[in-house]
Amino acid sequence: MKILYSRITKAINAKPKIESLCDDLTLIGIEVDEIKSFQGDKIIDFDLTPNRGDCFSTKGLARDYCAFKGKKFSSVKKVSFKGEAKFTKKIKLSAREACSAYSAVSISNLKLKKKFPENIKKSLKAAGIQSIHPLVDIVNFVMLESGQPMHVFDQDKIEGDIEVRFAKSKEQIKILGEKNLKLTKDCLVISDKKEPIAFAGISGGLNHSVSKKTKNFIIESAFFDPSVIKGKARRYGFQTDASQRFERGVDFNLHEIALKEALLIIQEIYQADISQIETTKNKYFPKKKLISISSADVNQKLGTNLNENTIKSILNRLEIKLIKRNKFNLTFEVPSHRFDLSIKEDLIEEVARIVGYDNLPQIKSNQVSQHYEKSKYDFVNEMKIFMINKGFNEVINYSFLDKQSLENLGIEEKSISIKNPLNNSLSTLRTSLLPSLAANLEFNINRGQNFLNIFEIGKSFSNTSSKEALNLAGLIYDDEKFKNWNTNQNYDFFFLKGLLEDFFEEFRIEKVSWKRSKNVLLHPFASADIHLNRKLIGSVGSINPSFLKSLGLNKAFFYFEINIESLPRNDLEKLKAPSIYPISQRDFSFEIDKDISYEQVTECICNSSKNFLISSRIFDIYDGQNISDGKKSIAFRLSWGSDKKTLSEEDISKEANLIISGMQKKLNAILR
Amino acid sequence: MDLDALKANLKKDFQKIVSQAELNQLKVKYLGKKGQITEFSKNIKNLPPKDRPTFGKKIGELRTLYENFVLSSQERIELEVINESLKKDRIDITLPGSFKSQGKLHPLTITTKKIADFFSSKGYLIEDGPEIESDYYNFDALNIPKDHPARDMHDTFYLENGNLLRTHTSPVQIRSIEKRGAPLKIICPGKVYRSDADKTHTPMFHQIEGLVISENVNFGHLKNEIMTFIDFFFGPDTKVRFRPSYFPFTEPSAEVDIMDKKSKNWLEIMGCGLVHPNVIDMAGLDSKKFSGFAFGMGIERMAKLLYEIEDMRSLFSNDIKFLSQ
Repeated sequence: MKILYSRITKAINAKPKIESLCDDLTLIGIEVDEIKSFQGDKIIDFDLTPNRGDCFSTKGLARDYCAFKGKKFSSVKKVSFKGEAKFTKKIKLSAREACSAYSAVSISNLKLKKKFPENIKKSLKAAGIQSIHPLVDIVNFVMLESGQPMHVFDQDKIEGDIEVRFAKSKEQIKILGEKNLKLTKDCLVISDKKEPIAFAGISGGLNHSVSKKTKNFIIESAFFDPSVIKGKARRYGFQTDASQRFERGVDFNLHEIALKEALLIIQEIYQADISQIETTKNKYFPKKKLISISSADVNQKLGTNLNENTIKSILNRLEIKLIKRNKFNLTFEVPSHRFDLSIKEDLIEEVARIVGYDNLPQIKSNQVSQHYEKSKYDFVNEMKIFMINKGFNEVINYSFLDKQSLENLGIEEKSISIKNPLNNSLSTLRTSLLPSLAANLEFNINRGQNFLNIFEIGKSFSNTSSKEALNLAGLIYDDEKFKNWNTNQNYDFFFLKGLLEDFFEEFRIEKVSWKRSKNVLLHPFASADIHLNRKLIGSVGSINPSFLKSLGLNKAFFYFEINIESLPRNDLEKLKAPSIYPISQRDFSFEIDKDISYEQVTECICNSSKNFLISSRIFDIYDGQNISDGKKSIAFRLSWGSDKKTLSEEDISKEANLIISGMQKKLNAILR
Repeated sequence: MDLDALKANLKKDFQKIVSQAELNQLKVKYLGKKGQITEFSKNIKNLPPKDRPTFGKKIGELRTLYENFVLSSQERIELEVINESLKKDRIDITLPGSFKSQGKLHPLTITTKKIADFFSSKGYLIEDGPEIESDYYNFDALNIPKDHPARDMHDTFYLENGNLLRTHTSPVQIRSIEKRGAPLKIICPGKVYRSDADKTHTPMFHQIEGLVISENVNFGHLKNEIMTFIDFFFGPDTKVRFRPSYFPFTEPSAEVDIMDKKSKNWLEIMGCGLVHPNVIDMAGLDSKKFSGFAFGMGIERMAKLLYEIEDMRSLFSNDIKFLSQ
């Protein structure tokens, strides 16, 4: 809301410096967004919170300011106006609760007496309100000053009487600005005999609006219940000065006063025939709310020690009047402009506002004791630390991306689209972190990077019952194969697999198995799916080269993504004392068929030597000289130990022989 | 050769040698079959029996002397050998180390951690919740019914399935109360989404919220918690102001500003307030018995202050040169 500095100083009848005025308003919860110079004056742009409809005007702001400063403010001057002829149309309030008071007046034979006042034009321009017609400008000016929106109709375009009612089904209205609205039955309209002439409290109808040719006018000033106006304009994608005020609530005692103020201005500038004001009211017209509260209530919530009189006088400054008191409670009457006050806490906030938040006490407390629980956040943070210690940099990407980038990878099927995206490149929730990390890679390659190792922990989304899953994804790219001067690290499948094995060990996750990957995004023969307790939790490998082009890349990279939500959180609970007996080691080398996997061999070893075997570590794979065609040599170092005794030579030989014969029987392996 | 000459020779010889080979030669020279000490010892046969014990004692002393020389020379020579081999191991210690790879956490993660660590150490549990939310948890349960003007404050992304992307982390408060009941003390960090993009807004950003529910919680407790946090995060000489604001889920509500030490401008850093009784009741507790306070802040804004970041969008560009600082 934009208001001229000069209008505010006039309303508060004082001239504080603009900075101190704005500081004070800020301290009572009226935020100043911006101050701009304007025609030798200043425009103050206020950022009003939705509860404070009462401040949506020059006088409203002034009223709150004066309450804070303890200055007198008389919001309502006695305005008297008397019209000539009778208002000829009947007003029917059919939507009785939605509109419980409606005033109207008709004006004709308009003749300019003196120059149209500059200050009205200036106020409107400062507020960003277009000048449409002098009468409209006047009612809009009164709205800026008092907060009451009013509407001017072309009387000759209205057929028959005026009715305030809810829209009929399939009814439409073309509003100012040429927008055609299909109304629903919960939309309040002003209508004539034939059709809606205004979207009540929101916008007038184009077909009944005034123009330069209009000779006879009707001005409407009404009270609309905020609950009927709320959200309606937004539903059609717009807001008006009227809708913003009415949905927050306009002082229900204001509509007639504001109308009179407007008519007095009109009379000052024009010679005109103005009818008497026709006001229709019904029993649903609101009464002032009452709130009962005790000083204990206030002090309990604020931690203060205010006495009844202080509370009473603070609220009195805000026109919140004490009307009844008994042993336990004070009963206050809420003024007609405060729609936001309905419960005790609301009054407590008012007391706090006037006392000043900075003057409220600070109180130590330690009333909630809870036992520590390791959270998902802690778990995720440990994973992040793990990843950076493995050399990876953390990235954070948007959860949404271009649908095309999912389609390029064929992973758009279960994607969720955003109904109202910011733009097309942010229209779909990602089903995998891959496109995000690949885009980061492309971005960084274009900026001259030839090595990149990044990871992200974030959600992927799918249109299934689980909707969202927290994933850890990592990418490593090494274009130059640049080696450090004495390190020879290959960034390949085994690098990432090794990293993940360390990861599972670090987080005590057992029963992980690696299967040839079915993930079409990855290299069909050099990638793995990762299973935990037979459930797929992710994959690792090099990207399938057929996708490189659509990712904007020339060279392959290695990638993994695992769902970390499904991982058990196995914290170390008990430390076991290590065995005091020595460990015995022996090396074995077998010749086996080339197609036999490492997994098959270790399985066979573990199944053959069931006693005392602690670990088996592969240290060499070899084929070539001295190895028969179609065979390979595979060498292990096996360790045995017991926590009950030192193993004898006999114990170990027995286990070794079991392994040799087991390997021979099951895998046709020959000991070399 | 007489005894004194022999002793003098021993001393001279053993002092001279530098290698194991020389030592071995000396061993032969003195204790070999024809060694000098061996030869000298043979003289005992030529002595009358009464002089033999005295002579035997002399031989004993001589041998002890010899053995001491052998031992000390042995030590000296071994040390010499180690020293020689160490010289061959000489390296250029200014060369870089072999393993040169340490990643960095994202600035938002570090900022979140700094905030979460503070509250965690004060006994808050850390909670999380879904990013795809229902209208109920994102709005209704937080006292923002349909058509409430406060919904305008949230430029919400709606999904085709009728759900939405949460516009704040506040739904986690409700879910936590429902799950854990009261008393309760939690913080919830996470991603949130609003349809907004410019230099100071990104359509996805991060928040962290705190909630304390207990009996007789008041505004003074809230102020104390926030002030302690600001001292921790920005330093105890930071100027702070609380000013009234509006959130449908708190009453009274406040916005907290700190004064920028350089520009002397007030900077908004968080919103807070006493939990609205409607929210407590809707979450299944009795607002007559329980009260609480809540606070929430944007992580990007805190990171911006912590690291003097100019453009919020740079936090999501994922430029490795930015991230690996």
